[in-house]
Amino acid sequence: MSFRLRLSVLFVATLVAVQIFTALLVYTVARRALITEGERQLTAGAAAVARQLDDISSRVADNVQVLALDYALRAAIAQRDQSTVLSALRNHGRRIGAERMLLIGLDGSIRSDTASVPADGQSFPFPDLADAALDRPAAAVVAMDGKAYWMIVVPVYAPEPIALIAAGIPVDNPLLVRLQQLSALPNTIELVTDTGKGHWTDIARGGGDVALAAALTAAGNSLPLSPMLVHVDGREYVALATRLRESQRSAPVAAVLGYSLDDALKPYRSVALAWASLLALGLAAGLIGAMLIARSVAQPIEALAATVHRVESGDYTVSQPMRGHGEISQLASAFTNMTHAIGEREERIRHQALHDAVTGLPNRKAAETAIHDALAGGGNASGALLMVGLARLPEIIQTMGHSICDHVMHDAGTKLRPFAARGFVARATDAQFSVWLDGTGKTDAIAVAFRILDALGVPYQEADLSIDTAPAIGIALYPQHGSEASVLLRRAEVALIAALDSADPVAVYDPTTDPHRPERLTLMTDLREALDRNDLRLHYQPKLNLRDRRIDSVEALVRWNHPQRGSVPPETFVALAEKTGNIRRLTRWVLASSIAQAQEWAARGHMLRVAVNLSARDLDDAELPRRIGDLLSLHGVSPRSIVLELTESAVMGEPEIAVQVLKRLADLGIDLAIDDFGVGQSSFAYLRRLPVREIKIDRLFTQRLGEDPADRTLVRSIVELGHRLGYRVTAEGVETRASIEYLREIGCDHAQGFYIARALPAEAAERLFTRTEWDLTRAGTSS
Amino acid sequence: MTCHLQFVVWVLLAVAAPASAGALSIRLDDGHGHPVADAVVTLRKEGEAGPSQRAAMTKIIDQRDETFIPYVEIFRPGDQVVFRNSDRTRHHVYSFAPAKTFEFVIVPGASSPPVTLDHVGEISVGCNIHDQMITHLYVSDAPWISRSSNDGRVDFEQLPTGSYQLEVWHPQLRPGRAGPHQDVAVDDAPVNVTYSLSLLPDPRQTGDRARY
Repeated sequence: MSFRLRLSVLFVATLVAVQIFTALLVYTVARRALITEGERQLTAGAAAVARQLDDISSRVADNVQVLALDYALRAAIAQRDQSTVLSALRNHGRRIGAERMLLIGLDGSIRSDTASVPADGQSFPFPDLADAALDRPAAAVVAMDGKAYWMIVVPVYAPEPIALIAAGIPVDNPLLVRLQQLSALPNTIELVTDTGKGHWTDIARGGGDVALAAALTAAGNSLPLSPMLVHVDGREYVALATRLRESQRSAPVAAVLGYSLDDALKPYRSVALAWASLLALGLAAGLIGAMLIARSVAQPIEALAATVHRVESGDYTVSQPMRGHGEISQLASAFTNMTHAIGEREERIRHQALHDAVTGLPNRKAAETAIHDALAGGGNASGALLMVGLARLPEIIQTMGHSICDHVMHDAGTKLRPFAARGFVARATDAQFSVWLDGTGKTDAIAVAFRILDALGVPYQEADLSIDTAPAIGIALYPQHGSEASVLLRRAEVALIAALDSADPVAVYDPTTDPHRPERLTLMTDLREALDRNDLRLHYQPKLNLRDRRIDSVEALVRWNHPQRGSVPPETFVALAEKTGNIRRLTRWVLASSIAQAQEWAARGHMLRVAVNLSARDLDDAELPRRIGDLLSLHGVSPRSIVLELTESAVMGEPEIAVQVLKRLADLGIDLAIDDFGVGQSSFAYLRRLPVREIKIDRLFTQRLGEDPADRTLVRSIVELGHRLGYRVTAEGVETRASIEYLREIGCDHAQGFYIARALPAEAAERLFTRTEWDLTRAGTSS
Repeated sequence: MTCHLQFVVWVLLAVAAPASAGALSIRLDDGHGHPVADAVVTLRKEGEAGPSQRAAMTKIIDQRDETFIPYVEIFRPGDQVVFRNSDRTRHHVYSFAPAKTFEFVIVPGASSPPVTLDHVGEISVGCNIHDQMITHLYVSDAPWISRSSNDGRVDFEQLPTGSYQLEVWHPQLRPGRAGPHQDVAVDDAPVNVTYSLSLLPDPRQTGDRARY
């Protein structure tokens, strides 16, 4: 329900309720007063009726009395002259208005009756009246033949009583009407008689045509001898009955007076009508007024509510202020101001949320949205995202602080702004800007990249400082490198990192070198699960002792048969494990498995050295020596049965902890070997500082040993030098008879390669251990 | 008003009285302690003629101040009655009684001719001009007959002992109702009898008659 309607309803309902209540009050009071008045009138009226009837009766009786003294009549009666008596009675009856005249003997028998000729000699029906008449004239209202009569009985003296004359004078409707007219009697008056069993019937009525008696009988009420409220035909009456002077032998006769409340209320009807008209008029006026007031209040509020809805949905364009000067207008004005303030604040917050405070450029989120919108807009067949990074920024922060860094970034942002003309420039991260170029292909993108580099290449000047930021740019192209803003941003960043690492300051994203492809994460998860489930396998590549012509050592190489991908190349997952920090777990697994295998073989009489590869990350683990020592003692394997192989790069840079780890391993009696010797930057001079016992010549030098004299010389030199420095020397990647022949000639200690055997499962490798005849010469001659 | 006759009889026997003669004293009241005058009491005894046997005589009913005087007069059959007008108005004397019917207009100072009352009976006489005028002529052959005095007493003396039929009559007894009548034993001792009579209003008080 609207405010307007509710307000109006409240007004009107209050008005109506007050009016109705007042009307009810007035009606109740008036009705009660009228009932009291009716009772008073009826009581007075009842007494008046009885008195008037007595008065009339008395006058009539006087008349009858006079008549009874008529000498001729008396003579006729005394002389029993019946016809004279009858005619005289008729004559006198007419005079006094009697309808029936009777002559009654002193014995109570009817001697003459004007209503019945000849007299049938019956007894007079009201002997008590006849008896009383001798004392004084007797009168009573009696019911005869359904009519009411005054029955007046007087004696006839001649001069002693010789008979009685009874005069029956009808008490009929006209008489009652006359009674009412003579005195201010209530307008409803009835004479009623009991027709038996309390069944009251009216035998005469004055005025009104309401059957009070019948209604009383129907309601089962007895005669209301005190004022009583009765309902007749849906109308209300106050009724009062009064018993009339009656004969004992007659059915009881009573006068019932009715005071019609409705009639009494009739004068009030016009008042009520006027009242109702006033009420209706007031109601209409009130309704219109209430509607007007409500509208003046509600309309602005409704307008305000509509505006609030608009504000809620983000529309801060508030319409013109309300006219008028009321409280509502003030509220509306305040609301308008508030809306403006909110709008401005939201704009500021939105700007802050989407912009970088330092450069004033949009931030990464804004850039992502802008690129997303540009791509979603369609129509762009191509696009390029340039990620501009400042390589020296961390250095600048460390040396000159964030404040200068902010200046540098601000300066860089300013320099980048012109490029926004063709796209969208944003500050992607602390040290990176992104430049989105709409509809730009690879060539153009690279060209723009170099122009940016030119712009940023100018060193930043502040006071006497000149700061070179060393910018680099990574480029991701749409749609080749991704169709989503987030993907493009990430890949452009990958390309930037590649550019920062390389000499070329501009790099285009190369999916093949992206180390952050999502599937790698999956693979890592799988690797961890494989480690947990022991799904990895160790294969062993035999190393042939060229002097003994026997297999006396093996290199343990990890193999992973992925349930879905099949065999995963070791370099893939090992490198992944190194990058994701899982390499130590992998190493531990390899160590545990290979030491266990060494013990197994030792138990079967194969005394072998098992070589295990360590990663550079393993050397950061100070716990490694203790762990290996535990494993060796657990399996009862001699430290001399284990060789740990390290790449040159693993020990380059020589972090202190790595050297410590290596020394402790050497102290345990474990031999260390340098893998892939010859391709790195290591030198013998460098190795001398490490507890290394063996070097493994990289396959690069051994593969073409049969035909390349330079390689032969190099390998011979390494072997000789190694031996002189006390290292064992193993040649890797031996694949031809000529190679192995030559290696044996120059005194290389061990050979390893496909020519001897591939990396094999433990059982297969073990079969080779018992093979003693490795006739290298014959093998060479036979080829 | 109901017609209720209440009478109480007290018979007191005087043991010491002589057997040859007795006395009977009757007292009459109206039930309210007022003595009733003008009541006629008759006594009859088997085989007794009584002292009433006498020669016929003429009695005068005077009319004075529009009143018959006396109100009740006792006659023997054969007696005569004369109505005398002592007023200054005329009187129209009449009787419709079965025992004797007559009608005289008597001018002031005049008297009616004598009327011989031959038959036993009660004759009510009125005046047609003055309703309140009424007198009763009681014609009886009873051996003993007497009219009550103003103090309501009737006394009989020198009554031979024996059983008597006693009857009381009064003009205002209700029509159709006989007065008290009973057998009374009289011996040497005086007998006192008291009767209460229920009477109609005195018709001579005409002012009351027409009023409620």
